[in-house]
Amino acid sequence: MAHDYSVQELMAVVLARDLSDGEVLRVGVAMPVVEAAVRLAHLMHGPNMELIFFGVRMNVAHLHTVPLPAFAWDRRVVRWAESYSDTGHRFDRLKDWHNHVFFVGGVQVDPYGNTNLIGVGPEYRRLHFRGPGSVGTATLSTHVGRYYIVLNSHSRRIFVERCDYISAYGWGTGGADARRRLGLPGGGPRYCLTPLGVLDFAEESKRMRLHSLHPGVSREEVQAHTGFQLVMPEQIPTTVPPTVEELHVLRTRVDPQGVLRR
Amino acid sequence: MAEQERRQRIIDEVTAASWVTDGMTIAVGAPPPMALLRQLIRRGIKELTVIDSGLSLDLLIAAGCVRKVITYYAGGGFGVPVVPSFRRAAERGEIEVWECEEGILTAGLQAAAQLLPFLPWRGGVGTSLPEVNPDLKLFSDPIRGETLLAVPAIKPDIALLHAATADAYGNVQHYGGPGWLDLFLYRAADRTIVQVERVVANEDIRRDPWATTIAGADAIVRAPYGAHPFSSRGFYVQDTAHLREYLDAATAAVQSGHTEQLTHYLNYYCREPVTHGDYLERIGVKRLLTLYEY
Repeated sequence: MAHDYSVQELMAVVLARDLSDGEVLRVGVAMPVVEAAVRLAHLMHGPNMELIFFGVRMNVAHLHTVPLPAFAWDRRVVRWAESYSDTGHRFDRLKDWHNHVFFVGGVQVDPYGNTNLIGVGPEYRRLHFRGPGSVGTATLSTHVGRYYIVLNSHSRRIFVERCDYISAYGWGTGGADARRRLGLPGGGPRYCLTPLGVLDFAEESKRMRLHSLHPGVSREEVQAHTGFQLVMPEQIPTTVPPTVEELHVLRTRVDPQGVLRR
Repeated sequence: MAEQERRQRIIDEVTAASWVTDGMTIAVGAPPPMALLRQLIRRGIKELTVIDSGLSLDLLIAAGCVRKVITYYAGGGFGVPVVPSFRRAAERGEIEVWECEEGILTAGLQAAAQLLPFLPWRGGVGTSLPEVNPDLKLFSDPIRGETLLAVPAIKPDIALLHAATADAYGNVQHYGGPGWLDLFLYRAADRTIVQVERVVANEDIRRDPWATTIAGADAIVRAPYGAHPFSSRGFYVQDTAHLREYLDAATAAVQSGHTEQLTHYLNYYCREPVTHGDYLERIGVKRLLTLYEY
């Protein structure tokens, strides 16, 4: 195991391990941990993964280093694409989306994995904080086989008992059939990754549960920074740190500029 | 004698901007057709409803052109989670936000394109979107009884787009594909103005008719470097330093009330240049020549 790594590197490695070969990974804007994770998984164990960065679909497992940045729409990046899906078909052929994986952020997250990118404040027309907007998260979270909530910080400001607004529906007010009752075909959120740990959702209630603690973090610390009661199993494992190989590939082939170490 | 010549559709950016009047709904493609947007700012157009996202949306708001925004995303890159002028105007209630999402927006544009009152959409069921935007209505579908969202037709008066080339008759070809919403905006809008890097001969279009992305733009505007400071595929990359200059000016105006920098930006780059050529002179040939793709 490696010892000297940043928490963002840890998050990227944890996320990469959970992605399977053959999956289609749809990455949105402004998520450096996710951008690194999908590339790392692609190089480590996913030669048949397809990476979709805003409609630019690529398989670059044959490359020694994976191109950055993802979000320039000029030809420096598009030249790696095998197709460009955004000629009017971003949300088509949904029957295949059980094999698609998506990643969302949020300015608020509630105990059932509902997320909010709209804003914060009781009155919609006078928000205290106007968020960036829903992007494509309402549609993607509805249809993909599973998605991950990935957050850059873990605080009571983000983890709230009730989102002021919901832009991506997770498990609603709870229950394993919450999504089926609404007719949402996708599998819902699987993990919520934060700088403190990995959270999942209890099988029956779908309430957020502490799944693993990052090295050096206590369960009390996580709970103290969470604005609602987490489901706390008796035994909570420590998140497995990056292996020497994972960190080597991450730093030399995915993130040589050290974006995740800043 | 009746006119025998096929009508040419090339107009200049000043004339094109005069098609837009106060209170219209305009749709902005990707990359944003900045030569046209700067002309709208120069003309002092007000009360627009704007379908757009990101920094070009923010610029139109900062310039006072906007009453209502139809947007799914107002991030700006550069580590800025929400673009500044949009954020403040929305928080103060100075602009109305028609809250939507990518899939919802495309459903509404598609409804307009097909002259339908609405199209159903599933993404957004279970969310707050129909609460904060009462135009989005949950309904029980008459075929299978599922709960879906009815997205009303979203009809722009004018779509403003940027592309690589076009001929004089409104046949448009993109290099590397159109921006992701461009064809939705074209199909839905009453009229479409496309500014292009190069006007080409009709023969050049006919050499590869399969490459024609828009078959009937109402007007073509010749605007080399017209997407600057944004990128134009096959021609130039974004001018990061210039975008940063705008963002810093807009942020200063919002956060500390120092509007001098923003006023200077708007005057120097948008209001004072009479033509797109005047704007490019202010940017300078040397700067433009640094924006190569490789």
